[in-house]
Amino acid sequence: MAQTDLRALQDTEFPVPEELQANIAITSLDKIYNWSRRSSMWPLLFGLACCAIEMIGTAASRFDFSRFGFEVMRGSPRQSDLMIVSGTVTKKMIVPIVRLYNQMPEPKYVLAMGACASGGGPFKEGYNVVSGVDKYLPVDVYVPGCPPTPQALLYGMITLQKKIDGQSLANLDDVPWYGVGPSEPTPVPVLGPDIIDPRQMELIREQAQQAALEAPFGARELPAWVNPTEVAQEATAVVETQEGAEDGVDPAKAARIRKREEAMARLAARRAAKGGQ
Amino acid sequence: MYGQGIARGLLVTMKHIARSYMDDIRYAGRKYSGEGNFGARQGMQATGSYTVQYPDEKIAVPERFRFIPFLIVEDHDHPERPGHDWCTSCGICAKVCPPQCIWIVRGKNPQTGRPVPEPDAFYIDIDICMNCGYCSEFCPFDAIKMDHDYELASYDRTSAHIFDKQKLSKEMSHWKRIAPTTALEEMQARGGWEHKDILREKAKAERAAARARKSASKQSS
Repeated sequence: MAQTDLRALQDTEFPVPEELQANIAITSLDKIYNWSRRSSMWPLLFGLACCAIEMIGTAASRFDFSRFGFEVMRGSPRQSDLMIVSGTVTKKMIVPIVRLYNQMPEPKYVLAMGACASGGGPFKEGYNVVSGVDKYLPVDVYVPGCPPTPQALLYGMITLQKKIDGQSLANLDDVPWYGVGPSEPTPVPVLGPDIIDPRQMELIREQAQQAALEAPFGARELPAWVNPTEVAQEATAVVETQEGAEDGVDPAKAARIRKREEAMARLAARRAAKGGQ
Repeated sequence: MYGQGIARGLLVTMKHIARSYMDDIRYAGRKYSGEGNFGARQGMQATGSYTVQYPDEKIAVPERFRFIPFLIVEDHDHPERPGHDWCTSCGICAKVCPPQCIWIVRGKNPQTGRPVPEPDAFYIDIDICMNCGYCSEFCPFDAIKMDHDYELASYDRTSAHIFDKQKLSKEMSHWKRIAPTTALEEMQARGGWEHKDILREKAKAERAAARARKSASKQSS
């Protein structure tokens, strides 16, 4: 039985010699990586309106989203991977929501639960309601319903897991968080007639242009391909130079810091070039 | 004595725990098999409390459950007008819709330019829809009804969640399947369009009454 299971995995572009087929399985790192990532998506504990009641019902033992690895709701954005925007997003509330989103560690996902969070719902033209949280945050899954039943929400969560399963470490276009350099925070709106901070106009415009090009929201530049042998030589050189200057510095850490600084410099150069135009 | 109330309260909890195990034992190995075992376990007869194993087993929704509206079209095997819309594009649903999520384009005869009683386009933004069911309540032609399908989550709002006429249209048999009682009541109230169904139901009732009379007369004699 185990043999047949292995053969299913060997269906790749890399041929496996026949005599080794019982012992070797080829699979991609993505599978195990995505499996582990999607099986521990901890949502952020916050509810906005009546959808939150259904969300609580989904978390409780009758429906129990821990069965899918959503496990436990965290009270801190720094410990959570998923933001379930459950309810009407008022103009006053969008400010803390964006702040919370910026504080979440990557990779992070947003699920718009219910009509209000997805498109404003019955309040879509209200004076104090944001018509859809996707005006400010990159939403991954929209769950319709007013409110969605616990089963509909569970279906949305399973849909999100399927999305994660389809992402690839190799294809950086659909996952913005594997590039180098710091991520750009989502501009925090300010409560006022326009709900945007005019001081952040440049960043907002840049992100809007990226969104128009259908580039991922807050995407970073892709890491440049470097020859591994050269990197190895450089690393030894770095170790040699640093041994004289400072003792006890981890060469890998030094290389990482150097890479990050380079990326920052490139980003600054790009911004300067854009500003010049 | 102190603590009596707590003990009594915990007794309720313990009763529920014990009952869920008793339910497990009663349906052991035949939870899904057998006539209506699963439904019985979910319904009023079930005594214990347990987790719904959602993607594998789903709670049966009640007949009056409402989610997203759908448009009724005639069955594909309808003798006279298969696949024909019931909607006449009168626009009452779009007017009463509280969140204003319905958009209708009235149909026109391309030759004469005169309006014809069917919609050219019918859009519902299901991310705005608040599932109130006013459209189906107000529709004078029973052409829009609330569907039971809640598994609609997707990744893109604009492409997947604005339903057009093709996505919304479902056959009359679908409505009869998801809401048999309501559909029959509506048919009887309409009286005109589904003669066959009404006649069949009437004949069935008459046969049952005749049987009852016969058995009663047998018992008396």
